Amino acid sequence: MSEATAKRHMGLRASRAVSNTFIHVLLIVISIIWLIPFVCIVLQSFRVENTGPVGYIIPHQWGTDNYTRLFQTDFPRWYTNTFIAALVTAVLQTVIVLCMSYTLSRFRFKMRQPLMRFMLILGMFPGMLTMIILYRVLKDLGLTQANAVPGLILVYVASSGMGYYVSKGFFDTIPMSLDEAARVDGATRAKILYKIILPLSKPIVIYTVLTAFMGPWGDYVFARYIAFGTSAGKNVAVGLYDWLNKDQISNSYTMFCAGGVLVALPVTILFLFLQKYYVEGVTGGAVKG
Amino acid sequence: MASVKLTDVKKVYDNKVTAVHDFNLEIQDKEFIVFVGPSGCGKSTTLRMIAGLEDISGGTLEIDGQVVNDLQPKDRDIAMVFQNYALYPHMTVYDNIAFSLRLKKVPEDEVYERVTNAAQILGITEYLTRKPRALSGGQRQRVAIGRAMVRNAKVFLMDEPLSNLDAKLRNQMRAEIIQLRQKLETTFIYVTHDQTEAMTLGDRIVIMRDGIIEQVGTPQEVFDTPVNLFVAGFIGSPQMNFLKASLIRTGDSFSVSLLGVNLALNPDQNEVLTRKGIGSQEVILGIRPEHTAVLFEPDQNAIECTIDVYEMMGSELHLHLTDQNSDRIIVRLPTIDLTREQRQHLSFGNRLFISFPAKVMHLFDPETEKSLIDG
Ligand SMILES: Nc1ncnc2c1ncn2[C@@H]1O[C@H](COP(=O)(O)OP(=O)(O)OP(=O)(O)O)[C@@H](O)[C@H]1O
Ligand SMILES: [Mg+2]
Repeated sequence: MSEATAKRHMGLRASRAVSNTFIHVLLIVISIIWLIPFVCIVLQSFRVENTGPVGYIIPHQWGTDNYTRLFQTDFPRWYTNTFIAALVTAVLQTVIVLCMSYTLSRFRFKMRQPLMRFMLILGMFPGMLTMIILYRVLKDLGLTQANAVPGLILVYVASSGMGYYVSKGFFDTIPMSLDEAARVDGATRAKILYKIILPLSKPIVIYTVLTAFMGPWGDYVFARYIAFGTSAGKNVAVGLYDWLNKDQISNSYTMFCAGGVLVALPVTILFLFLQKYYVEGVTGGAVKG
Repeated sequence: MASVKLTDVKKVYDNKVTAVHDFNLEIQDKEFIVFVGPSGCGKSTTLRMIAGLEDISGGTLEIDGQVVNDLQPKDRDIAMVFQNYALYPHMTVYDNIAFSLRLKKVPEDEVYERVTNAAQILGITEYLTRKPRALSGGQRQRVAIGRAMVRNAKVFLMDEPLSNLDAKLRNQMRAEIIQLRQKLETTFIYVTHDQTEAMTLGDRIVIMRDGIIEQVGTPQEVFDTPVNLFVAGFIGSPQMNFLKASLIRTGDSFSVSLLGVNLALNPDQNEVLTRKGIGSQEVILGIRPEHTAVLFEPDQNAIECTIDVYEMMGSELHLHLTDQNSDRIIVRLPTIDLTREQRQHLSFGNRLFISFPAKVMHLFDPETEKSLIDG
């Protein structure tokens, strides 16, 4: 290798090292900024000397009082409400979305294109628009206030078929001839979905489950409306938020933080376990699993 | 182990393309049928209709005497090998082959027996635990065949199974398919666009063009007596030569005249033409490259040509010639009997004479493109 090329190599390597360092520093700074609120909440939840908001971050006195107090309130009820709603929604929505996507990806029927276009347009309307009418309907069905959970599940699941884009996009990348081979081999459509398509789409299945779970888990607007002030019908977001009003904040701010930590816990654990698949799923169409 | 009968089977795709027109064919039990034809002629479509992967737009399809038009693929008891193999990527080779058996709830020890048996026949035993990704093209092809084999299905369908393999492997696999066929003793329907494959594998060949059957027959029949220009040109390699000529009738005997040469037909041909009531007319004369004799001296029954291209194939030469009408003619010339002078003579621009006996001549009507003698 001549000296000149050697030098050029060195130069390239050096400039790459510089840009790498820069990128890493930038990413570290961003993640710190991003993590601060979480760290604050965790720290606040262990603060026992004062139950209201204060002007410092590190607690003077540490303890788990906030958590014990939390369990004497309606919080467990809210937590259960949210968990049930999210779990049932996750299961139903996943099933519906995957079946819908498989159908749209594999079957050719008359109204397929119009249906897809219709759902696309329908999906563009903000869900808020339907709130009032939904409330009336659910109220007539007796699914509000104390009975909010089934009502919420109904609302969450009802429109789930429209969330087919990502998984249909992924299914489209799986060659049709696999289905055909399986059909010739004696599989029914359901078996094909279950034994061929889904195992090949693990990232997308997990992505679908996670998003289906996350929606209800963090929902506030609909939940608030449908619970309509009845404590038994609240979900965690609504319940916790109500502690932040003027009368209660000085008594329950740290409890709010403790609740927040408990809400974040299952989701964090889920993501830690499934993050590999989740990333694959989000970038699904491009990189075939 | 079944007969297949197609009556007026038709396929019209959603975009109004008619891919297959009134397809009529009766396939015997244990027969090896090959569909052959140029790209887009509807071979795959027909095969997929038999498999049940495409709806049949018209006509009836019977397997073993039972109309199966509306049966799902899984209820037709057919096995199929796809062009791109279509192996299940997430399953091992073993699981791929076992898939159909497990769907049928065959007991696991019998599954084991049948899978290992098939693997042994195909020589893929050592790959049974691998995923398809870790196999070569030829090995994948074997797995695909194995998957179809364990089924013991009534009909075995193959859609261009060898087209993704290189030439050498293709020859090898072709030989293996012939062996397999003897072992399996089932009805085969095989699709290819390669006429060599069709000739070597088929008991009978179905030659298709634009969704229409042009001719059905044994390899020998379609080679010896092509019913029209298309079949004559499609079967055989190098292609049959086509020359403009005139058919001349004198009484009940005929002769073909071209380029100042007059060639009498033989009694059989005379009889056919007389029976058909054909008079003097323009014709297209078809001659296979292997049926021409090459002369180095002029002869009253030989056509004069000049040499364009000279291809050495080892045991024989392919000569590309031009006659005085500027028609191109290809002839095959075995090298073994050539003298030194003759070899030297065979170079660009030199003159050569070709002749052929009456019995190898194929005559076609220029208008209808149908054969006047055959079919
Ligand atoms: N799904 C489809 N929709 C519309 N037209 C189709 C469809 N599939 C095939 N065709 C058309 O039908 C005709 C026959 O197609 P087919 O695939 O049967 O040809 P083929 O003989 O198998 O050709 P090849 O040798 O290239 O595989 C073609 O003209 C093709 O364009
Ligand atoms: Mg094809």
